[in-house]
Amino acid sequence: MRDLEGKQHWMLYEGGRAAAAAAHAGRFESLGLALPEKRLTTDELLRSTKHSTGIDLEKLTGIRERRICSEDEDSFTLAVAAARDCLAHSAYGARDLEMLVSCSISKNKGGVRHRLEPPLSLSIKEAIGANQAKSFDISNACSGMMTGVFVLNDFIRRGAIRCGMVVSGEYISNLGANAAKKIRSVLSPQLASLTLGDAGVAAIVARAAEGSRGIRVVAFTTLSEHSRLCVGVPSSVGPGASMYTDARAIHRVTLEDAPALLADVIDQSGLDLGDIDYAIPHQTSKRAIEKGARELAERLGFRPRHFVDNIAERGNTATTTHFVALYEFLEKRAFAAGDTIALISVASGLEVGVLVFEMDELMERYGHH
Amino acid sequence: MAIIECAAVVASNRRFLKKGALQLADDAIGECLERANRSATDIDLLVNAGIYREKNLAEPALAAMIQEDIGANPEQSSDDHSHGTFSFDVANGGCGVVTAFEFVAGFIESKTIELGAVVASDSNPGGVEAFPFPNAGGAVLLRPSPLGKGFTAFTSATFPEFSGNFESAIVWHPHAHPVFSEGTNVLAVAIGDEFTLRASECSEVVVRRFVEENGLGLGDIDLLIASTYPRTFAADLAKRLAFPSDRIAVPEDRFAGAHAVGAIASLDAAIRSGQFSRARNVLFVTVGAGVTVAAALYRQPSPDRILRGA
Repeated sequence: MRDLEGKQHWMLYEGGRAAAAAAHAGRFESLGLALPEKRLTTDELLRSTKHSTGIDLEKLTGIRERRICSEDEDSFTLAVAAARDCLAHSAYGARDLEMLVSCSISKNKGGVRHRLEPPLSLSIKEAIGANQAKSFDISNACSGMMTGVFVLNDFIRRGAIRCGMVVSGEYISNLGANAAKKIRSVLSPQLASLTLGDAGVAAIVARAAEGSRGIRVVAFTTLSEHSRLCVGVPSSVGPGASMYTDARAIHRVTLEDAPALLADVIDQSGLDLGDIDYAIPHQTSKRAIEKGARELAERLGFRPRHFVDNIAERGNTATTTHFVALYEFLEKRAFAAGDTIALISVASGLEVGVLVFEMDELMERYGHH
Repeated sequence: MAIIECAAVVASNRRFLKKGALQLADDAIGECLERANRSATDIDLLVNAGIYREKNLAEPALAAMIQEDIGANPEQSSDDHSHGTFSFDVANGGCGVVTAFEFVAGFIESKTIELGAVVASDSNPGGVEAFPFPNAGGAVLLRPSPLGKGFTAFTSATFPEFSGNFESAIVWHPHAHPVFSEGTNVLAVAIGDEFTLRASECSEVVVRRFVEENGLGLGDIDLLIASTYPRTFAADLAKRLAFPSDRIAVPEDRFAGAHAVGAIASLDAAIRSGQFSRARNVLFVTVGAGVTVAAALYRQPSPDRILRGA
């Protein structure tokens, strides 16, 4: 997009120096989380593979265990539970929500039954009683939640609405179960499916009080020359889906292309790289996160105080990944008021998104157990 | 405010080797760009609103593949004069196109983008014996309005009490006698007879309220652009509203019963017949599973204002 000085930027910007002035700013008013009780260790998952693989997945990915749905849980139940938790932490009630956007990749309702119509958002809003909300689904691979925030935040910035909810429930452990029937070695295109875990998250984005910073910038682009590097389709070996990923290629192009985009976003935020306190990347594997952090430090001098990694006990939870980490850090009371947080998303497409926001009174509602 | 720059639709009605949703979307946006004398690199945002596609692809967003296929800034350039394209999918059944219009028009209003593309296509993903919709694709380009007109209002409403009338899902069917595989994931689409009635009934409620909220009467609406599924939807709604049939956009026969793309097929027909450019107040009404109704009001300057460039 072209900024006010006529300079072109590769990413689309909401907020920041490149963007036109907006009537309002958006902020995260509340977050919600739902994790299944059931745990599946990496050892247990590898013991279930049909073929002897010889893969040390825990060493390769840093994932010890992940949460997985029980029989009575699915994308819908996790989304509804997260939405209710979000409302429980919010000053808004369900009937105050003017928009509800469901952003999951998996849309399972009634077990492993991938719902296409009506949209899952309709069932979620009905379940929580958000009867006034405009509802629709967004699908953008693992960038879904952040894309939902991008869409909702524009309505808030224009003053078209005051508050809405972005929600996602991911029941994706079935991809691991399907992959376990096929994987023979570390070179399998389904290897990344063994890293997946289930989770539900929700975020209420609302108009920020005047003078409060809230969400400084949300920026996105699609580097679609890489659109076929990770493909998810219904499985041919069992209920649910299968995902085929060229993880090495994704990792390579991410390291090639993302740093310059990230640097531009931080610059557009009116910040220096050193001003970022927490960077929360998509949790794919410990090695990928650490390598990414090293590259960003060496190439840009980007050294946030915390490069967040919660992968050991959660695995890769797709669209929910950033918000699971954010919620758990809130519960640990890790943040200080004024901390600047960058959510960094790289997803199948290849979608690249960055959201920069300032921690505010949101933190006061968490960690009181 | 955002105006429609161009629209195009394509269909694949041949008996064998029908085109899939991706190819249909590629063809539709390609045709649309050609008609508008635009390059794919002009597109800032590409939103796909189709539901049914080859292999029931769940990720990536089909929009990303369309973006790559048409060459809309697929790779990052360090050239200071170039920009990228952002792509994603929206899913709101038969209402997806109007839902996408709403937020693409919003991004234009907030100056986040200069040119937005809304694409929709649906095709039989394979393995569905009685797929109820024709394979079709459509595309619309939206840009800022120089005259302060265009999309002025949007509304939507859901009627979950009727949600059981239209359901589709991908479901695992185990094979009774597994030989090569234990089963198959197949798309199941179940649309009850009552859906046709509920579609027009719910839409009537929404349209009456929406038109009144915007200070208009039904007599002020010069053109109705409606979903093409259910097939009798536009006529049923017009009858309920006592709306004159000569003010309804009628798509080509090959788009009868088209799903998400239906509203674009109606729009394309109205543009080509001259109905669209003559209409001062255009009402878009889409309907889908839920029952969901999404409507938009599109207002155009009077012809004399266009001539004066006011």
